[in-house]
Amino acid sequence: MNTRLARILTTIFVLAVVLLPIYWLVSTSLKSNREITQEGTLYPHVPTLDNYVRLFTEKQFGSYLTNSLVVTFFSVAIALVAGAMGAYAIVRFRLPFAMESKVGLFLLTLRIIPPVVILIPVYLLMLSLGLLDTWLGLIATYTAFNVTFCVWMMESFFREIPVDLEEAAMVDGDSRFGAFRRITLPLAAPGLAATAIFAVLVTFNEFLFALALTATPRAMTMPRGTATLIGRIDTDWASMAAAGVIGALPIVFFALLVQRHLVRGLTMGAVK
Amino acid sequence: MRGATQARKYRLQGAGLDLALPYLMLAPGLMIVLGVLVYPLWDGLRATTRAYRYGSPISDVGLQNYVRLWSDAQFLNSLWVTVKFVALSVSIEAVLGFALALFCLREFQGIRLLRTVLIIPMVVTPVVVAIVFRLIYASDAGMLTALSEAMGGGAVQILGNPVNAFIGLVVLDVWEWTPLMFLILLAGLQSLPHEPFEAARVDGAGAWRVFADLTFPMMRPVLAVAIVLRTIDAFGTFDQVFVLTRGGPGEATRLVSIYGYDTAFKFQQTGYAAALFVTIGLVVLALAFSAIRLLRRVDAS
Repeated sequence: MNTRLARILTTIFVLAVVLLPIYWLVSTSLKSNREITQEGTLYPHVPTLDNYVRLFTEKQFGSYLTNSLVVTFFSVAIALVAGAMGAYAIVRFRLPFAMESKVGLFLLTLRIIPPVVILIPVYLLMLSLGLLDTWLGLIATYTAFNVTFCVWMMESFFREIPVDLEEAAMVDGDSRFGAFRRITLPLAAPGLAATAIFAVLVTFNEFLFALALTATPRAMTMPRGTATLIGRIDTDWASMAAAGVIGALPIVFFALLVQRHLVRGLTMGAVK
Repeated sequence: MRGATQARKYRLQGAGLDLALPYLMLAPGLMIVLGVLVYPLWDGLRATTRAYRYGSPISDVGLQNYVRLWSDAQFLNSLWVTVKFVALSVSIEAVLGFALALFCLREFQGIRLLRTVLIIPMVVTPVVVAIVFRLIYASDAGMLTALSEAMGGGAVQILGNPVNAFIGLVVLDVWEWTPLMFLILLAGLQSLPHEPFEAARVDGAGAWRVFADLTFPMMRPVLAVAIVLRTIDAFGTFDQVFVLTRGGPGEATRLVSIYGYDTAFKFQQTGYAAALFVTIGLVVLALAFSAIRLLRRVDAS
């Protein structure tokens, strides 16, 4: 009986620690700035949706959202196709000088380096190409990062698929690529989904490169746009909270919907 | 056995167009990575030997940028703040995550809810996590101040005080990433063999003995992986600090990532900042590879 009580109390405590900050974000987003700073209420006494309306009418959150969706979609889609093919080649072919495994190790190394290390070189590249503050600049950058991730994730999924099925297909007259496309790829669909989901999550949330590579609502993504609300002296808490909710809501909803597939990506494959 | 698979792979490669297939399949991904990451990185190495003014190189300075780092008090301080931040956050996350994983090992009602809810901190945009914590810490609008006032106290100062701001940042990181430790460690615990534990129970071993003699030693490799992953990740922490404190007050929470960013984009010392990041990158890579080697040795023994 005692352990049961301890269990219930611990569960409640953990839930409270995780959810209380989220509650505060949502609750602040429903208050007016006056209520936030002068009354310090614990819940919105006069709930209002004004903060949300203001984001879209005065602060161009519509553009930020569009930019985020476009950039995320293209960079994940391209990386998924290129990454799946690359991973397949690494897993199934033996090239001279063990080239395929060297490529795999090389991509993994790139993945270990903190992104901030590559920030300045990429910034200088986009500057010289005139791609600062454009969709294309962001898409190219995110696609490259996503490729390193997709190759590495898909490798482990392809390894689990037996070669025999492809051999059978080829005996029946399928080409090598045909066997990959018609047999292996469909079998790896859950892996592709898990990879795509995680790539979407990371890309949608990315801030550092968006900060350095974009400067106007023309290309700013959600996290980047949200950060513009943070003033030096006077902070518009209400808008900031509403922006936080808008920025986090789609991704949290998406993550909870597909949480089963998320664990592997989050843990960099440390667990299956 | 290995020879047989090898032979089969050669046979599978076939002839004609199929011979070029591996290269054709590798090419798109590799070209994107080489063009967007590796070429600039290579070019960036040249940038580290130059002095810049307003974003354009003005002179070659050889390795001076690298030498200068080690006499730059602000860099050394940011390195020290980063090490403190990483060590403190990751160890707290490991302890809490392990405790929580042990706690959740037995199935009970509410565990599914707990696991689902614990996904949230990890997936919320880091910028938004920082906003959430600013809304908690802010002395005028924060949750802590509101709670304190509701109980008759005064405003709570977190982000204006160097020590409190640093602790506040660690708390943020612990909130955000303990769930990841928990997930990895729970998966590790669930994959442990049952027999030793049953034997221990038959022998009447107490809970503490079971943990110290069985659970902990068997979990050491998983624990090491989790800690290495988090450490590498924590070294690159940027978004949260940028939004929460911007490195302040003073230099109290200025991690190397923030210092490097400011050096490049605020003070326009592009070459120097690039040298700083290359150094950090090498440190992290060395850390990662020595950790991997260490793990291999643990695995082998």
